Amino acid sequence: MSKNSIKEKNIIGFTINGQAVEAEEGWTVLETARYNGFHIPTLCYHEAIEPSGACRLCVVEVREGDWSKVVISCMYPVKEGIEILTDSPRVHNVRRWVLEMLLAECPASKEIQALAAEYGVSSSRFASVDKENQCMLCGLCVRVCNEIVGVNAISFASRGTSKEIATPYKVPSTACVACGSCVTVCPTGAMQARLDQVRGDISQRTGHGHAH
Amino acid sequence: MKDSINEKKARIGVFLCECGNKIASKIDLNALENHVKNDPMVTYVEINPYPCSAPGLKAVRKAVEDKKLDRIVVAGCESRIILKKFERELLDSGLEQGQIAVVNLRDHVAQASDGEPEELAVKAAKLIGSWAAGLEALTPMPRQKVEMNGPVMIVGGGIAGYSAAHELIRHQIDVRIAVDTEDIEDEIRTVHEFYPGERHYHRHLRKIMQEVMESPYVERITGCDLKKVMGPVGDYSVAFSTQYGQTQQYNASAIIAALDTHMVNQGDNYGHDGERILCHTELEEYIWLHGPLHENLVFWVNDLENDQPWAHLSARSAWNMARYIREHSGLAQLTILYNDRIQLPLSATERAKSRQMGIKWIPYDGSVRPTVLAGYITYTRRDVQIEEELNWDRLVLSPVRGIGVEVLKVAEILGYDIVEGRFLERNPQMVRPEQVGQEEKLLAGSARRPCDLQESLRQGRRAASKVVEMVEKARAGQLYAPKVIVTVDESKCTGCGLCKEICDCGGIEPVEGAGGGIPRRVDPMVCTGGGTCAAACPYNALTLQTNTFGQMEARTATLVRQLKSNEVMGFACNWGGAAAADLAGLRGLKSDPGFYLLPISCIGQLDPRVMGRAFLEGANGLLLIGCPPEQCHHSYGLDHTWSRVNVIKKLLSLCGLERERIAMAHADLNDPKHYVRIVDIFMATMERLGPIRRDTTTKERLQGLYETLQNPRMRWVLGAGLRRPREETYPGDQRNALAYDETLSDVLTEEFLRARVLNILRGAGEIVRGNIVANALGEDKSQVAQCLAGMVKEGLIHRIYKDRTPYYNIG
Repeated sequence: MSKNSIKEKNIIGFTINGQAVEAEEGWTVLETARYNGFHIPTLCYHEAIEPSGACRLCVVEVREGDWSKVVISCMYPVKEGIEILTDSPRVHNVRRWVLEMLLAECPASKEIQALAAEYGVSSSRFASVDKENQCMLCGLCVRVCNEIVGVNAISFASRGTSKEIATPYKVPSTACVACGSCVTVCPTGAMQARLDQVRGDISQRTGHGHAH
Repeated sequence: MKDSINEKKARIGVFLCECGNKIASKIDLNALENHVKNDPMVTYVEINPYPCSAPGLKAVRKAVEDKKLDRIVVAGCESRIILKKFERELLDSGLEQGQIAVVNLRDHVAQASDGEPEELAVKAAKLIGSWAAGLEALTPMPRQKVEMNGPVMIVGGGIAGYSAAHELIRHQIDVRIAVDTEDIEDEIRTVHEFYPGERHYHRHLRKIMQEVMESPYVERITGCDLKKVMGPVGDYSVAFSTQYGQTQQYNASAIIAALDTHMVNQGDNYGHDGERILCHTELEEYIWLHGPLHENLVFWVNDLENDQPWAHLSARSAWNMARYIREHSGLAQLTILYNDRIQLPLSATERAKSRQMGIKWIPYDGSVRPTVLAGYITYTRRDVQIEEELNWDRLVLSPVRGIGVEVLKVAEILGYDIVEGRFLERNPQMVRPEQVGQEEKLLAGSARRPCDLQESLRQGRRAASKVVEMVEKARAGQLYAPKVIVTVDESKCTGCGLCKEICDCGGIEPVEGAGGGIPRRVDPMVCTGGGTCAAACPYNALTLQTNTFGQMEARTATLVRQLKSNEVMGFACNWGGAAAADLAGLRGLKSDPGFYLLPISCIGQLDPRVMGRAFLEGANGLLLIGCPPEQCHHSYGLDHTWSRVNVIKKLLSLCGLERERIAMAHADLNDPKHYVRIVDIFMATMERLGPIRRDTTTKERLQGLYETLQNPRMRWVLGAGLRRPREETYPGDQRNALAYDETLSDVLTEEFLRARVLNILRGAGEIVRGNIVANALGEDKSQVAQCLAGMVKEGLIHRIYKDRTPYYNIG
């Protein structure tokens, strides 16, 4: 985060959907695009938190010289002379794939359903294991708990298909301060149902129950 | 209250976030920009697509620099989440603590109702104006730097003190350690009294102790008892009394208390005689004196039978002792009898080793209690269910763990919360880490919670590493007190101690000195900024830094003055109501658009004065939304607000207004629908009641209401009824609740009348006759005469006779 020494930074010029934009070293394509009014969908991105590129929805096409590739814009640094396409057929194709996978992963999430409908995705060709699942494991809640709140009450538990967001040993965490930041940032609404498993019975921990 | 620094007019910038189209599509931002521009308080307004993104921040920084802004309002989303980023990114631009306010337009305005964009712009402008007024009333405070003076003091005499000291000297930090004896061997000799069966660990322990004792960074204090600890973090003063009754003072930057569990035998139970039937510590002592035994030894792990939940520790120490005896004696027969409800605390290797050494582990069914007989002990296995017997020469029982008298004394001096029958470990405070500087006096050792020696030493190291972190930060000049803390104006403080009684974080303490009437001060590193203490102070001696009552009143007054007659304002706490409001917006739940919400970090911060000011300035109602009952993150801020609302209700009815105009509600952050319901119900009530008719009488009475709330006597009586930390019952649940409430009513009636009389006299400016005062108030003449006589007696007003008629004026 050396954004503070702005004065020595070079201006980087590139184009988004054919429109010339200016940025500074260290900015990401997503930030620059959104600031200039280009809409890019995201789920796992939050301005207050470092990006992690988990949901892959923010993909854009980068053209540089005579080659092109699809990258996630939330972590892709700006570069002189590149061409960004936020809504090319190739980008849409990838986003639809991503949305199909997300839809299969969390069939119960209204937010994902709405986003998928925007891209014309109504069903998924992938198998859904849990019809009630809302969580897409983007880890935004874990990051907010670590970066913003600073208590690290929740984290990823287990691996592979049984990976989930949980407190250590899956018992309510005394590190949790029940601030609800995880619920607020959760892009799919999954955390709302889980919060009680994380914070436990707060009344046991306030008043006469706490330290000092 | 204005300071000389504050004389210079604040330069406030407002940044209106488009938030993609989440705000821009709902609120007419151009109209909003014009509204805000017309606000004389605001120097600069800008619409910014994303103030929180890197390009947006660049624009904000540029505006701050060009327009020389010293406070900014960002009208965007949740302050709870985004504020930290602005504070971090704009620190270099000279915006410090409290100089940035974030108003949640997205969830509280844009998404909360389906109003016309222009209407919502008007609503947004009112909220922004309110926050700008709050910022204008701010006295900028530089971050409070905390220094760490002097060595780290380790008290309590526990074993964990050595590992703590060891960790500290590794970082070249000076340590003062209070020990019972300077002879390491003497210390080692008594370790088993607190940690039996840890003999294999003594060599390692000896090494740690030696290194500590020989280190040039360590100063030892021997043969002294801890007497008193005073001062704030970084500058403690610790007093010890020596054997000869003298007092010795030391200064310390931090304090680590190493306290061990006390172990006693089981008394007469199970035939305990300390000889043939003995407990772990006694067996250890026996081995020290007579060497290992060559007998048939049975360890009965009977913690569960004694209602002690530490069976795993006892089983472990039994196994360690058995192992030691086996290693030194081929003849001894060793059996460990344990309740099959406990999990065997042995690793696979240890189980194998146990078999190899011939140490028998026998589980028994706990529902059939083993009986100790002469030379035998009976037990029943779960799978066999036939009573069996075990022969013993010596039976070893589990010790009983508790907190010893010495430890209790030290813990009391250090101010730990002591609950009978419980160990010292407590849950951490439920506030964000940045709200507390550091855990004040660090605690290590088994008195926290029984544990084995390794764990105890680990705790010592952990406590020390926290201190190391603080000291290193302080050395680099980077140790700062939290942003929102309470400060005491010592010139106003009378030392009544009310704040200390209701403080839940332990941050308030008396200033050092002798005698009564000593002012209090606040330890900035301990205070969590709950602020209910400041809202309770009868003499206004306490101030909540960066969120003062001046600011809260400015915010409230500015908002209320702009409200239409059908609009209502409310406060909600960031842990409950405001968080629920954020979530309601995110979920797209619509609530009454006439409700204006001001988030606050704890509802307990609201001085009754602020509530009174709202009514005085034109509010027709006031809704306070806190956390669910018993879930206040600052312990009892919620209950205190309940008491304050009660006072306002009484005063409202004295004013001839409806008591329902102020209401207290509870909202869980995870239940946004409930929040919406609360708002809608209150708005319906307000619609039923209609606006307050503000004729001269009502205005005069509301002025009286506002002034009564500043009266020290009334605040004292209110303070007496506030729920104290660790009190188990609600204020309304207490035995004398009704009697108290009646007294409170009497005091309020009296003080309300007095405040009004003072107002009339102040307004008159000259001497006035009693009858005229009574007429002006519209109250009974004899009642007013009685009130005037009382006030003369107390020296509040003067009585002057003119033609034998009494006249009154303010002295």
